[in-house]
Amino acid sequence: VSTDVAEVDDHSPVHPGEHHDHGPTDRQYFNIFFILVVLTALEVSTEWWPEDSRNIAVPVLLILMVIKFFLVALWFMHLKWDPALLKRTFYSGMVVAILVYAIALSAMNFWTDSGTTNFNDPPPVPPAPFCTTSQEPGPCPTD
Amino acid sequence: MVLSVNAIIRGDLKRMRLWLIGTAVLGGLFLGGQVYEFTIFVVNDGLGFTTNVASSAFFALTGLHGVHVLVGVIMLLSVVALSFRRKMHAEAVEVVGLYWHFVDIVWVLIFTVVYLIP
Repeated sequence: VSTDVAEVDDHSPVHPGEHHDHGPTDRQYFNIFFILVVLTALEVSTEWWPEDSRNIAVPVLLILMVIKFFLVALWFMHLKWDPALLKRTFYSGMVVAILVYAIALSAMNFWTDSGTTNFNDPPPVPPAPFCTTSQEPGPCPTD
Repeated sequence: MVLSVNAIIRGDLKRMRLWLIGTAVLGGLFLGGQVYEFTIFVVNDGLGFTTNVASSAFFALTGLHGVHVLVGVIMLLSVVALSFRRKMHAEAVEVVGLYWHFVDIVWVLIFTVVYLIP
C-alpha cells in the first residue's frame, strides 16, 4: 500500500505539504489536551472536597464544564478559525438550545418545585382517614 | 482525532491511520466501560430503564451517547479502511472529526450533569 502524496485527492481544498496558517499545530493540540486533562482531574476531585465546601462545587463544576466545552469547540472543532457566518450559526444554535432548555425546565417547575420524582407540583396532601388526635374513625370530635 | 486531520493535510497517510486507529481504540474502551457500568446497574443493582425517572434519564442520556460513540468508531474505522482503497479527501477526515468532537462535547456536558453534580 502506497502512502504517496499522489494518493491524496487533487481536488481537495487542503493539499499535502501545503503550509497552512489557519488551524492549530500538533503541539497546540497537545497543549489543549493537557489542559483538558487537568480540568477534568479538577472536576473529579470535587468528589473528595470536604462537606462544607460542597456548596461551591456545583458552580465550580458548571464553570469548568463551560470552559471545556469552549476549548473543544474552538480548538478541536476549529470554531476559532471558522468564518464569521459559521460562528454566528453556532452561537445562534447555542442560544436557542439554552432557551429551549430553560423553557423545558420552567415547564417542569424546576425553579419552584420541591423536587418530586415526576417533575410535577407535589399533589395535595389527602385528608387523614381518621382523626389523628383521637385515633377514632371519621373527623375529629368538635366538642 | 485532530492529529489525524493534521496528518492528512500534510499528506501523511500512515500517521493519519495511526491516529484514527488510536482514537477508535479509545472509543472502544469507552464503550467497554459503559457496557460494564450498565451491567453493574442492571444485574447487580436491579436498576432498569423503567425503575424510576432518574434511571430512565440516565439510561436514555448515556445509552444514546454510547450509540453515537459506536457510530463514530465505525466511521473512524471506515475512513481507515477506505484510505487503503481510494484517494483520501482531507475534508472527509475533517467531517468525521467534527462528528467525533460533537459527540465529545456532548460528553463534557453529560459527565458533569449526570456523574459529577451531587
